[in-house]
Amino acid sequence: MIWRLKVDTQHNRPSPSKFWNWFNPVGRQTSGWAFMLQRVTALGLTFYLFLHLIILGQLANGPQGYDSFIALVSSPVFIASELIVVAGAILHGLNGIRIILTTFGVSVTRQKQLFYALMVLALIIIVIFGIHMFTA
Amino acid sequence: MSKPNVVIVGAGFTGTATAHDLALRGFDVTVIERGDICNGTSGRTHGLLHSGGRYAVKDQESAIECIDENMILRKIVPQVIEPNGGLFIAIDEGDLQYGETFIAGCEACHIPLEELTPKEALKLEPNINPNVLTAFLIPDGTFDPLRLALSFAASAKANGAKFKTYTEAKSLLMDGKGTVVGVKALERTSNQTVELRADMVVNATGAWAGEIAEMAGASVPVKPTPGVMVVYDQRFVQRAINRLNAPGDGDIVLPQRRMVVVGTTSFEIDNLDYVPVIEEQVQLMLERGAELVPGIRNAKVRGKYTATRPLIGAGEGRSAARTFKCYDHKETDNVDGLVTITGGKATTLRAMAEKTADVVCEKLGVHAACATKDTPLLSYRQYYNMPN
Amino acid sequence: MSEKWNIILKVLRQKQGETSHFDEYKMDADPDEYVLDVVERVWAFKDRTVCFRHACHHSTCGACGMRVNDAEKLTCITYIREVTRDGGTLKVEPLRNFPVVSDLVVDMGSLYRRLEAVGARSVLPAPEAEIEKPPSRWSSDDEQYIRLADCIECGLCISACPAAATSSDYLGPAVLAGAQANGLKLNPELLNMVDSEDGVWRCHSAFECTAVCPSFVDPARRIMDLRTQIFKERVGGLFRKA
Repeated sequence: MIWRLKVDTQHNRPSPSKFWNWFNPVGRQTSGWAFMLQRVTALGLTFYLFLHLIILGQLANGPQGYDSFIALVSSPVFIASELIVVAGAILHGLNGIRIILTTFGVSVTRQKQLFYALMVLALIIIVIFGIHMFTA
Repeated sequence: MSKPNVVIVGAGFTGTATAHDLALRGFDVTVIERGDICNGTSGRTHGLLHSGGRYAVKDQESAIECIDENMILRKIVPQVIEPNGGLFIAIDEGDLQYGETFIAGCEACHIPLEELTPKEALKLEPNINPNVLTAFLIPDGTFDPLRLALSFAASAKANGAKFKTYTEAKSLLMDGKGTVVGVKALERTSNQTVELRADMVVNATGAWAGEIAEMAGASVPVKPTPGVMVVYDQRFVQRAINRLNAPGDGDIVLPQRRMVVVGTTSFEIDNLDYVPVIEEQVQLMLERGAELVPGIRNAKVRGKYTATRPLIGAGEGRSAARTFKCYDHKETDNVDGLVTITGGKATTLRAMAEKTADVVCEKLGVHAACATKDTPLLSYRQYYNMPN
Repeated sequence: MSEKWNIILKVLRQKQGETSHFDEYKMDADPDEYVLDVVERVWAFKDRTVCFRHACHHSTCGACGMRVNDAEKLTCITYIREVTRDGGTLKVEPLRNFPVVSDLVVDMGSLYRRLEAVGARSVLPAPEAEIEKPPSRWSSDDEQYIRLADCIECGLCISACPAAATSSDYLGPAVLAGAQANGLKLNPELLNMVDSEDGVWRCHSAFECTAVCPSFVDPARRIMDLRTQIFKERVGGLFRKA
């Protein structure tokens, strides 16, 4: 005996509280990782939207607010964070295209290969964006 | 007047079919089973719905039972049967010679058969041995073992039978005068012991029948005889392919879903609860199976397993009769209140149940006729849909 | 036994009303035998209280589905070699998303009820059993042959599906696959059942069902096909009305 878990025989039923299962990487297939990636990027982008509104709100604080805003957005840390947002959007978007295609019966049997191809494409686009953002 | 109450030990083919029969005749039935439905021999049958051709030469009593029951099952439970027929094929001279006695045997047992030329046979089944010398078309079939039993169990449940699975019979309750009055059992899901009183206990434990009968000091001459089966991952044929010869090792190849099952062998064992797969016999299945369907040489093994036949009566292994017998232990051991049903084949499960229910009715003085022949069975899924 | 491995089998144990825990058993195992054989030996020789479901031992009944090292497997056809190594461990747990009856046994009543509701066929004409034409090496797929459907109703897909984990009313991959084999054409009741919140639109394309299916059903593909069928029926319906 290794450990005890305080549960009864009902714990195995489906329940909305098991959404954490969506983020459990144990025993996942490739397509499962894609599923997880889609959820993580979606949550990240939603979180970013609120952050974005809060930071933009600073602009309402007059010229001083504008200056501190410009200082903030030109810092390398901020640019790196922005790149993460861009990467999230690209991954979410491209994987979303895969899901739309498969939903309409296109490439269902090749969905894994399609996923890999789109991820390679995503990586290339992210690198281009990165170069552009850090050198501009 | 309250219904007479019967406890059936074992929920394999005979247990579930007997529950169905007795429930139809108005009995209050409880089935106990130490595992789930069909976890013993029944679940592991290769699933051949026998036309009787296999037994038409040496064991005509079994052959007639098979063809009659085959036709009944096709009618009452089509939802679990691949009814595509079977072929007996001759590969060598010995097989050809057997053909004569085979035709005579099938005629004697009213098994319909049609002789095919090798060309016709290969047109029907392109993947059988191209060197086939002659072939006979007979009404074999394939069934899904678990779902066959579940169909009977579902129908029994609909008529009020209760199924207590994961409940292991530990001892038989005796009244002190040599009569069995119930079963003491362990509920394995909760580790509680329960006592079930019964007007009659039916021992439907197949190969394990001797162990249960012994609890009451009675005996059953059952000889557990396992055989190996090997499953390959391609559906080479649509019909059951039998070797046209006396029953032997690896003489049947039958389709099931996307697989073929090759069986079987015959050996003896000491421990009934776990029978290991013998690797040499797996090889033998490949050799013998490939004589019927050469393609399996290049197919992948998907599964290999053993199942233990409950053989009764005289004869060793292959030569033992494959018929069934219902023992009233009042007559055999002077133990009242206990009836054992064992032997037989999956194909004859309904007939075994009818016989057992007849004996139970006679012993309890109940006048009720068997109605299972003409009662279509419910969907096996209903077993899970009905509360116990 | 040709080769002998020593493995540790960890079985999730749980009786009615009790807390769950893992029991460990030191087992000898042939790498070329199946996980179910080892579990059965635990019951036969070491611990008679272990409950597990099994019947056919050759992947036609679907009774022996379990989680083996965190992945859904039909244990009767899962080689020991595929899931562990000599000296390794093997963790077996009941399937997820079904209430546990005891130890490794779950109650799959919900799956059977839904299969019945969509009229999933257990036997059907051989060509209709295929999602596409079978490879030519198989014998002819003549209409006259009737065969058992591919789906063995083992519940592995329900256990692996992340959508089934959070929605108790989701029909689930096996059930939708059964509906797909029946077709939606001229079947408005079935169309309404699958074209719903808890029908095909609950699927979020994790494709885990197809990955774990031991019986070549390819439920994900059949769900996507249902979506196409729904689209055709609904759009076609607009024109028929007009």
